[in-house]
Amino acid sequence: MAVYRRGYQRYDGALTSHFARLMVMPRFSWERILSRRFVVILLVVSLFWPLLCAGFIYLSNHSELWQGFGGGIKKFLAINGNFFSIFMNVQSTFALILASVAGPDLVAPDLANNALPLYFSRPLTRWDYILSRMIVLLGILSLVTIVPGLLLFGMQASIAGGDWFANNWFLGTGIFIGFTLYIAMVSLVAMASSAYVKWRVVAGALVLAFFFLLAGAAEMVNSIFRVDWASALNPTYAINAVWKGLLDVEIPEDKPGAWECATVILGLSGGLLALLARKLRAVEVVK
Amino acid sequence: MTPYQQIWTIARLELGRVFFSKRSFWVYILAIFPSIIFLGHALEANLKKRNWGGDRVTAAELLDKVQSGMTDEQVLALAGKPVSDTTRKRRVRRNDEDPEAEKQPEVRRYVMYFDGKRRVDLRFEDGKLVSRNARELMNFEDDRRVYATMFQFFYLRLGIFFGCLGIFINLFRGEMLDRSLHFWFLAPVKREVLLLGKYLAGLIAAAFIFGTGALLSFLSMVLPHDPNEVATYWQTIGPEHAFWYVAAAALGCVGYGSVFLAAGLLLRNPILPAIVMLIWESINGFLPDVMQKLSVLHYLQSLCPVPVPLPNDMPAVLKMLLAPAAPSSVPVAVLGLLAVTALVLFAAMQSVKRLEINYGTE
Amino acid sequence: MSAPEIVFDNVSKFYGEVLGVNRVDLHIPPGITSLVGPNGSGKTTLMNLMTGLIHPNSGVIQVRGLSPYAPEKLMRILGYATQYDAGPRGATGFEFVHTGLVLFGFPKAECERRAWQAIERLGLTAAAKRKVAGYSKGMRQRIRLAQAIAHDPEVLILDEPLNGLDPLVRAETIALFRDYGANGRHVILSSHVLQEVDVFSDQVILISNGMIVAEGQIKSVREEIHEHPSQFLLHCRDASRVASLLFAEPHISEIKLAPEGAGLLVLTRNREAFAAALERIALSGIDIDGVIPTDENVDALYEYLIGGGK
Repeated sequence: MAVYRRGYQRYDGALTSHFARLMVMPRFSWERILSRRFVVILLVVSLFWPLLCAGFIYLSNHSELWQGFGGGIKKFLAINGNFFSIFMNVQSTFALILASVAGPDLVAPDLANNALPLYFSRPLTRWDYILSRMIVLLGILSLVTIVPGLLLFGMQASIAGGDWFANNWFLGTGIFIGFTLYIAMVSLVAMASSAYVKWRVVAGALVLAFFFLLAGAAEMVNSIFRVDWASALNPTYAINAVWKGLLDVEIPEDKPGAWECATVILGLSGGLLALLARKLRAVEVVK
Repeated sequence: MTPYQQIWTIARLELGRVFFSKRSFWVYILAIFPSIIFLGHALEANLKKRNWGGDRVTAAELLDKVQSGMTDEQVLALAGKPVSDTTRKRRVRRNDEDPEAEKQPEVRRYVMYFDGKRRVDLRFEDGKLVSRNARELMNFEDDRRVYATMFQFFYLRLGIFFGCLGIFINLFRGEMLDRSLHFWFLAPVKREVLLLGKYLAGLIAAAFIFGTGALLSFLSMVLPHDPNEVATYWQTIGPEHAFWYVAAAALGCVGYGSVFLAAGLLLRNPILPAIVMLIWESINGFLPDVMQKLSVLHYLQSLCPVPVPLPNDMPAVLKMLLAPAAPSSVPVAVLGLLAVTALVLFAAMQSVKRLEINYGTE
Repeated sequence: MSAPEIVFDNVSKFYGEVLGVNRVDLHIPPGITSLVGPNGSGKTTLMNLMTGLIHPNSGVIQVRGLSPYAPEKLMRILGYATQYDAGPRGATGFEFVHTGLVLFGFPKAECERRAWQAIERLGLTAAAKRKVAGYSKGMRQRIRLAQAIAHDPEVLILDEPLNGLDPLVRAETIALFRDYGANGRHVILSSHVLQEVDVFSDQVILISNGMIVAEGQIKSVREEIHEHPSQFLLHCRDASRVASLLFAEPHISEIKLAPEGAGLLVLTRNREAFAAALERIALSGIDIDGVIPTDENVDALYEYLIGGGK
């Protein structure tokens, strides 16, 4: 009888679920990221704008406070898609800075320290790894995007009443879907940057460069070709256009619309995923 | 071996890595992207001329007669069949509480004519002509202005900024992350000499990549235009413009390079100063004169031969706040930039002498 | 002519609040000197201090009369094979060795000759044109050695140089150290296995928790084995009673419970007296199931010193 048949007994007890195993990595990562002082400061600072917006909502719903002012103030204080679009726009800047600080920390050290074989020798696929890293960023970034966004929406709905909610429920779903899309895009950029350069610090710069440079390049194409369609190549504009589509805010006719921009974002995300799949390998062969 | 020989030897050894590193690939894309776009623009203009030529051309005199307030039918009767004609109806919105929306036109029609040189875009709202915009497919003066804008807003502010960030941070911080800096520290060279050698390597590479990029994009902007116009330009101010664009790009690398080299040495995470610097350089135009002179961009803009007009669609409030400082004279700009660079490099030298190999903390 | 010693004068190094080395005073003469200590004891810190890769918080270091703050002079006489596994990105073995030599200012042909000579000496000629990143652990170890000896230094510092080497290469490498050490040069190497280095070292420095716990010629250090207390593991059921009886003996210096209830760990300064005491206890009716000496080899001294003189 082979020795292993006598001595080796395979574990046949209960196993945790796939999702529970997947969440192991995010749990540790969240703890590590939130222990960084700069991240906490950034999180706190990024809540100022939602607080201002909350004040704005309160003001908007108390007409007695601005009765003496002209009619223009009513339009200015209206809580509609435009209001939430501006809120999302500002808040996404904080999310971007947060992603450029926290994002590269997730993948680059694993690559630089050859830790991938360690992960992939567990029952985890490459896609599990990517997903778990995205969950980390989803958790962190949603603290400054989805959570305050939905809180503001809930606040407005509770003050303005059921009618407002019945007419504007799509703003809530718009905030949720819009921010989720944004977080997915930013996470992919952060991970792809760090997988590409493998250095945490440079990857952070690359995340910022990605957004700034594409915005600059899109503007350059627009001005050289005297067109407007290239704005869709600017990820910030593209995601804004998608948000406007979701929040039912009008986009100037000569600019690319929500669907065109959504297609560009999808294509971009596909490219970033392909880059990640190419770079995230357990073994790097050096010729 | 003298220190100068050592500086050159180090630069030579580093050059290959800086030029041919896979990670530097995106820097090349940054540098040549404007050339590709300008060439694309020339190609597109030629294609359009060919497609819209022949019987689709409308006489310029007819198009000049088109006046605001004419109906679409009148214009079509006067100018004939356009090159393109699109109609859009106003979308009914889900929750339009805005009373202004009632005043929006129901139907918009966009018509475009071509007179062999210019495209004329007409916009009708509810059948009435509200806007007429004519522009040449290839206008040299326009393109030079666009180039100046592109150079200052894309090339200097973003391309060279991020390109230098990538190249110069790699020189020390990158080696720390790669755990290979000790290799250099174990060579029989002074740390200051090592720093200058590495800086020289980065500078040669960056200045070559972005200087060539600036020249290529300038040529691809100039050359596709009418040969007579181009010849006149080369005989007058063309060479001077080309020189100063290349010089500004190279000096940009000198300034930004020293800053990012020092940031890579002084700070564990140079991204934060990079963000601060990016913001500083971006809000520069809104600052008082003295503060504006504390930025690399101010001196580089002073060297640019064509001033950039403010964008038409810039909000009036921003235009009001924007008060660009008077450009510095060329010698002041060059010397100012070199002085700032020398100061930053001196600080970097002090830092590199104290630098310790402690990869565990990276 | 430079002074032929490596001197540490009251040198301390802290990494923030973590101690690297503390108040080190050393005079290392030429020959082969081994720094021995467990992981994290401060061996690499001492080597990095000698080579100027890190700087002391206090104290002075001189390497044959040269300061580590003057790399342009020091590195001409010093070669250091670090533990760091990386060389310049994308470099082949030959480029790795050759590039270092170029910075010494040797003419091109001389650089190539020296590079090939060093590579051949370490038996890497066939792999010299392959990228270092693709080398095995042992090959990387050897190419680092080749790079360290290529300029024929007076002081050769080697951090764990025998790690990852197969027995044949290990023997050749040790021969190389002996060759270097015999010519009045310094060869300083580190290891955490005393037995590995005691056969070829002229001096040994034992280091623990950042402090020098012993230094001198290996022969005199060996003699200490006979003078230091011996440790025995006693297997017995009534451990507390045996312990109380043993404590009454004057030669017993320490008794502690062995891990996982395996018995007692007893430290005695007199083996014969300890044997007699055990016999008395056994005759009194207390079961002693076994007596195992735990420090019968050269590592015992190491354990004794490094473990804090237990």
